[in-house]
Amino acid sequence: MTQTIIWTIAILTILGALLAVVLYIVAEKFKVEEDPRIDEVEKVLPGANCGGCGQAGCRAFAQHCVKSESLDSCFCPVGGNDVMQKVAGVLGVEVAAKEPMVAVVRCNGTCENRPRTNEYGGYQSCRVKAALYSGDTGCSFGCLGCGDCVAACQFGAIKMDPATGLPVVDEEKCTACGACVKACPKNVIELRNKGRRGMRVYVSCINKDKGAVARKACKAACIGCGKCAKVCPFEAITVENNLAYIDFTKCRLCKKCVAECPTGAIHAVNFPVIKPKEE
Amino acid sequence: MDRLLVSPSPHLHTRTSTKSLMRDVVIAMLPAVVVSVLFYGWAELLVLGVSVASCVLLEYLITKYLLNKPCTVCDMSAVVTGVLLALNLPATTPWWVVFIGAVVAIGVAKMTFGGLGQNLFNPAIVGRVFLLISFPTYMTDWAKPNGFISPASVDAFTGATPLGLAKEGGVAAVEGLDYMDMLFLNIGGSAGELSAIAILVGFVYLLARKVIKPYITLSILATVAVFSGIFWAVDPQQFTGPVFNLLTGGVLLGAVFMATDYVTSPMSNVGGIIFGVGIGLITMLVRYFGAYPEGMSFAILIMNAVVPLINKWCHTKKFGRA
Amino acid sequence: MMKTFSIGGIHPNDSKISKDCPIEVLPVPSKVYISVAQHLGAPATPVVKAGDQVKVGQVIAEPAGFISAYVHSSVSGTVKSVGPRKDLAGNNVTHIEIDVEGDEWVEGVDLTDTLVTEIPEDDKATLEKIKMCGVVGLGGATFPAHVKLCPPPGSKAECLILNGAECEPYLTSDYRIMIERSREIVVGAAIMKKVLGGCPAVIGIEENKPEAIKAMSEAVAELQATAKGYEGISVMSLKKKYPQGGEKQLIDAVMGRQVKSGGLPISVGAVVQNVATSLAVYEAVQKNIPLITNVMTVTGDCLPMENQHNYKFRIGMPLSYIAEEAGGIPEDAVKVISGGPMMGKAIANLEATTVKGSSSLLYLTAEQTVRGVESACIRCGKCAEACPMGLEPFLLNRYARNNMMDELEENAVQDCIECGCCLYSCPANIPLLDIIRIAKGDVIRIIRTRK
Repeated sequence: MTQTIIWTIAILTILGALLAVVLYIVAEKFKVEEDPRIDEVEKVLPGANCGGCGQAGCRAFAQHCVKSESLDSCFCPVGGNDVMQKVAGVLGVEVAAKEPMVAVVRCNGTCENRPRTNEYGGYQSCRVKAALYSGDTGCSFGCLGCGDCVAACQFGAIKMDPATGLPVVDEEKCTACGACVKACPKNVIELRNKGRRGMRVYVSCINKDKGAVARKACKAACIGCGKCAKVCPFEAITVENNLAYIDFTKCRLCKKCVAECPTGAIHAVNFPVIKPKEE
Repeated sequence: MDRLLVSPSPHLHTRTSTKSLMRDVVIAMLPAVVVSVLFYGWAELLVLGVSVASCVLLEYLITKYLLNKPCTVCDMSAVVTGVLLALNLPATTPWWVVFIGAVVAIGVAKMTFGGLGQNLFNPAIVGRVFLLISFPTYMTDWAKPNGFISPASVDAFTGATPLGLAKEGGVAAVEGLDYMDMLFLNIGGSAGELSAIAILVGFVYLLARKVIKPYITLSILATVAVFSGIFWAVDPQQFTGPVFNLLTGGVLLGAVFMATDYVTSPMSNVGGIIFGVGIGLITMLVRYFGAYPEGMSFAILIMNAVVPLINKWCHTKKFGRA
Repeated sequence: MMKTFSIGGIHPNDSKISKDCPIEVLPVPSKVYISVAQHLGAPATPVVKAGDQVKVGQVIAEPAGFISAYVHSSVSGTVKSVGPRKDLAGNNVTHIEIDVEGDEWVEGVDLTDTLVTEIPEDDKATLEKIKMCGVVGLGGATFPAHVKLCPPPGSKAECLILNGAECEPYLTSDYRIMIERSREIVVGAAIMKKVLGGCPAVIGIEENKPEAIKAMSEAVAELQATAKGYEGISVMSLKKKYPQGGEKQLIDAVMGRQVKSGGLPISVGAVVQNVATSLAVYEAVQKNIPLITNVMTVTGDCLPMENQHNYKFRIGMPLSYIAEEAGGIPEDAVKVISGGPMMGKAIANLEATTVKGSSSLLYLTAEQTVRGVESACIRCGKCAEACPMGLEPFLLNRYARNNMMDELEENAVQDCIECGCCLYSCPANIPLLDIIRIAKGDVIRIIRTRK
């Protein structure tokens, strides 16, 4: 009995030792030579594997950063400038700071503004819906409301607002990875700069129909009247195909256009509330 | 009509639903249920009642409070599991053993995998096998039929199934058995094994309603027949014959109702045949050479585990691709 | 045994309620809106402008590419505007708005009922006529007919198949023309067969339309006895099964050959045209009438019998106008479909107008068409059993939801013909086709970029 146990232990020990040696030899022989900096860069990355940088994941991004000579073509939207500075530190190169961005939903076709003209009865997916038809309202451009952007967001930064039927971006959580922009079949969502203290002015509409048609479909539609473009002192606004667009690189947040817009399609967010002057 | 409804094509849908399919399975099991109640009486009714009620209740509680998923009780799949489990147990099984079986079937075999459609193994069989291993005394204590009707030859075999007798006493022990008795009223055995005819009626119903395809069932039966036929032809003194093997134990019940479970069987016809042949072979190997008198449950469970592989190998024939 | 395709298929109730309603001619409304995108391929380019006077049959838009087609005015009057208007899916498409004045046709059109049985000798001229008259396939895809009738060099047509299967439930327009215009259809078949180099022609009709089979057989026999160029035309009765009218399925049923994945029908020597297309070819070649009319069915279980119609309509008529003419939309209809209930499009905008390929206004009730709540897949395999292409929709669904493009391609998602058999037969109401359709588009795009 005792002998059996001793034999068993001995055999297993020898077997274990032998296999360990084999494993060591194999590991040494088939070792993949890789730039050690890739590991270091990967360590400073957020590890979300969101693909917002345009690479397949954080590892791929790290490889891309190490391979490319300058970091101009590399940007991790999730980590932002902090992470990029760290990456630059690891690689010993300079990197220019980029303006922080945020996803902006350019549609204000709430249930109230944009009356439903039909009911959708298929699979609840914007892609499926968009492939089928223009959507359940008179507007064939705006948000379809099935929440593909919500499903695409890995950071829980987009939620559907049941009251309006539109997605709402949580600016704190949004990393501007652009997943929602890609997921939206109607291109409703755009990445815009976050702006000073989060203040932004943008046209919350992408309807290219003629004014009357757009207005009929949605009370808050841009009707392409061009008043905003005329009033803008910085030439930041262009009107094309009956639709105004504010170039955020030129906009200086004067908010003149907001007051001018007849349909309220231009939104100004995060501005401090100015108390009405006493008369 | 206020607003037009818009959805992608097709715009018509079949009337068949998960619920209607499950209901058909329950209807198909009715003849077997009726026969077993007639011959085992109140005891069998109690087993059936406890089994179905606890399966349904457990499914309800687990989906509602543990998984926080929409309740799936209405699709009747828990009822099917409950009836199947009851048909697989002796009528004398105490109610609490039945309940434990239901807990294992629904709680362990079905819900831990994610509920209907996700389970790898047939819940009712997992429940039965669990009981068979845990409570062998209850599970092999085959009472003599003591219900509302008594078969004439009831005294011939009591306390053990024909398969059990064959296992212990060899072929000689079952020589006096009348096949006609077995066809209509098998004596001893789990409730569902009583009458081959009742199960076959259910099989025909399922085929007629297009709930199942015949491939799995027929390949199991054919394998059992061929395998036992060969051994019997070689040595009729040692091995029981094909008719005996087809009519005894859970072969028919398993082949018709359990191996054909959608979730745990292969999806293609070819896959179904491979699956059936596997079950038939394993069953007969257990019966002839194993420790247990009956191998159907084990065979189905083992083949259940192979189903993902079979599905990977067997694809449908595609149009225009040689 | 009667022939049919070899894989899958389903048997929905055929519900041909309006089959005994003779074709009626719809009166012309005061205004029409003619779309320039009535065919597969590039939308046509408008060649008229606001204020122009047009006659019936005058070209108002020209093809903008090889796969494109002429569009003709269906009315006479004044062009009011040329601009975007919403189609039945609510998307903007260029439409030509015409105020109707009188009914004056262009020169050279033969509007009499006389049957012209003589097949023209000059194939080039025949094809040119088919092209100039804007004939497109009327079986659903609206592929320009003249393109299909010119097999690419190196391939030869061995059989012209006329599709009279009309396998979609409810639709009866093809059935009616096969009964009322059977001889014209046969002449059209003879013309196309001549152009294709004299191959035999088979008219495939499902067995549930015995009157159509009889009418077409009689027309073939009569023309074979009285005129030249009609040999080799025959009628084949097919077993009823959806989607018999699918191009690949019909070729399989009639010729017993399967078009390879990604291949064209001509690769197995087949050319398939709908019977309605054949009628359009007859009118174009023998009568010089461009394709501005077609027959559509107005039907539905919730529609009273007296409101069931088979209408001969002109292109550009608003659907709401047709619905009104047919006695209004029934109260309990929740969905209106253009085309059959299996592959047709649900109409989002009733102000949209008829196009060359319009085949029905079908009213469905909530009970018939509203999908049940999706539940878990029970792996019953009914979708795979139903798929006429031998695909495994349950598998494709799973791959598509996980964006597994390589697996999707391996499992032939690109072969899907979107017939809807999978979604129809799913007991768990899983939106299989909705998801597979999108995945198919993605995979085809990937395959194209690879080339």
